[in-house]
Amino acid sequence: MIGKIIRKESKEIIRDDRFKISLFIVVSLLIVAIFVSSNQYKNTNIQYEEAKTKERANWDSQGEKTPHSAAHYGTYAFKPKYPLSLIDQGVDKYTGVSVFLEAHKRNEAEYSAAADQTGLSRFGELTPDFVLLYIFPLIIILISYNTFTKEKEGGTIALLKSQGIRNWKLTLGKWIASLLPVVVLATILFGIAGILLSNLSDYGEFSWISLFALYSVFIVYYMVFTSITLLISSLAKKSGIALVISLTVWFLGCFAAPKIASNLADLKYPYPTRQEFTENVEYEKKKGLDGHNPWSEEAKLLEKKVLKEYGVDSLHQLPFNFSAYRMQKGEEHQAEIYKKHYEILKEQFKNQKGIYQSIAVISPFLPVRFLSMSIANTNYQTHWDFADAAENYRIDTQLYLNDNHAKNSKYQDWGYKANSDTWKNLPAFEYSPPILSDVLNDNTSIIIMLLFWLGISSGALFLSTKNL
Amino acid sequence: MISNCLIQTKANEYILYMITTRNLTKKYGDFIAVNNLDLDVKEGEILCLLGANGAGKSTTINLLLNFITPTSGEALINGIDVTKDPIKTKSFLTYIPENLMLYPTLSAVENLDYFTGISGKKISKSQLETYLLEAGLQKEALHKRIHSFSKGMRQKVGIALAIAKDTKVLLLDEPTSGLDPKSSNEFSELLKEMSNKGVAILMATHDLFRAKSIGSHIGIMKDGVLKNNFKTQDISIQGLEELYLQTMNYNEVAL
Repeated sequence: MIGKIIRKESKEIIRDDRFKISLFIVVSLLIVAIFVSSNQYKNTNIQYEEAKTKERANWDSQGEKTPHSAAHYGTYAFKPKYPLSLIDQGVDKYTGVSVFLEAHKRNEAEYSAAADQTGLSRFGELTPDFVLLYIFPLIIILISYNTFTKEKEGGTIALLKSQGIRNWKLTLGKWIASLLPVVVLATILFGIAGILLSNLSDYGEFSWISLFALYSVFIVYYMVFTSITLLISSLAKKSGIALVISLTVWFLGCFAAPKIASNLADLKYPYPTRQEFTENVEYEKKKGLDGHNPWSEEAKLLEKKVLKEYGVDSLHQLPFNFSAYRMQKGEEHQAEIYKKHYEILKEQFKNQKGIYQSIAVISPFLPVRFLSMSIANTNYQTHWDFADAAENYRIDTQLYLNDNHAKNSKYQDWGYKANSDTWKNLPAFEYSPPILSDVLNDNTSIIIMLLFWLGISSGALFLSTKNL
Repeated sequence: MISNCLIQTKANEYILYMITTRNLTKKYGDFIAVNNLDLDVKEGEILCLLGANGAGKSTTINLLLNFITPTSGEALINGIDVTKDPIKTKSFLTYIPENLMLYPTLSAVENLDYFTGISGKKISKSQLETYLLEAGLQKEALHKRIHSFSKGMRQKVGIALAIAKDTKVLLLDEPTSGLDPKSSNEFSELLKEMSNKGVAILMATHDLFRAKSIGSHIGIMKDGVLKNNFKTQDISIQGLEELYLQTMNYNEVAL
């Protein structure tokens, strides 16, 4: 019986000119979106591979020099474009893709894609996530806003009710039929993306399971939108009213709610300005040990402590180069300060995320947006994770270089130069984004929120159609 | 419940009333739409309910369809209370409203397939075509989309639905109003055929002549009350007209 309803509703949808026009527009958009994203993905990763190889070659071919010169020469940590960014670019465009790693300083990621584009890019790009998040719900509205109102307006409701069909079966049949076109389109999109990505696996670990998880999130999103649209249709008396209300819900949920969330989060937990942040870091750095300054009070205290620890009277008697040792201690002090201030930023980020999550109650768009970016590894969390990995690599590099300097020379031995093997022996920077299970664990509350939306919307729909 | 609807014949057989109401009342606040209505329609009978607008004819049909719930009393289809098992009672009946609306983008066969399907019948496409032809629809109209159908053609799809469902009860709410005389006559003939096959029919109508020509019984309602209920054979058309007018003028006439 439900199958009969699905077939009949689908026939009506397919024969409707609105659907044919919508389908043409959406398929065209999808083709363009996949083409653009796929090219962007390939080009970015080619550039990433080239830059990584070139930069490492530069590091390896430094020749003989003091390790601290090499520390100032610096190197780069590059962030790859992860496979699922083909579908959801998330914040990748606005976060930098490389971090310059040098002595004494933690740098921000730079060279964001947005910075390479014209101001018009502020209007947004045609990407698969745009189509999935904004256009598909619109398609659901366009094909199903009158699912129930047309029965009332067309007078078929009387004949329908007189057949003795249970309302929940009728509702379920209509619900599946309304959802089906978008599910088919999404399946095609994800299928194409999967085939493309599995053939481009050189650029990252592509996982069909992650792709399926992303697909599932979007399907739940469409289920919620279908339930809401049908709920409105069941409550409205006229199709025109149902359409206006559904479009209003779409606009508020997809456009207004994220902006409200963003404004509230910024208002309640603002980030410090870049100037404030730099001033605070510099102020605290000055209060501690500077590896380059042997005359500071902190340097003298360190000197005394080390002499006492090794039971010697002079720095010359130490079994290592105290200058390099002091450099390392200064590095550790600065790293601590950076860590402290970045932790403050991360805490603000967590607080802002909390605001976003609580506002997700007002729109199903928000949990889907978060989950999609998280699974695609294109959210801020992953960027923080990458930036932390780069910082840890920087700290390890400084330790490696200072250690080499300290062990291979004596105090005030300015002539020591490390050979090229020293640079080659430094392990390359490697970063793997969080795995799917960790991402899902980290987003449990958001998953619950999305399922809550599904429960509430479908529950309300079946309740409202109980007495058609 | 079923015992209320059984009648004993002279041959000591029991006949079940297919449509029964007992003290059926529907109130909207102080307004009484149907007042203590007692009706019985047996298999093969056609009861035509006459009355002015607001007399309670459509409300009675809506109560039998369980579209609205009675304030008091009972409405039974095939001996089953429509409020207690609406799904079951609807499996016995077909309802044809004044203006039978179907899905405009579907053909006659597709509409019939859908409505029979959701009422739990599995019928082949060729059989559906046969039913539509039996209901008087032209062969070339079978696969045409409904949006090009006249009211008369749509009503025939309704009759085809009743045939396909092997319906026991037909509830009709002014089905011939707005139909041209030819279509009305064709429709009346179809109803007689259904009646001859044992279908119990309750038809609300304003058309005295139609009621006289096809009804086995006629009831006249006024202000929610069944004022008269008699066999059609017991009255002439002139007599019916006079009785109807008298009833509408508050002069009850006992036959």
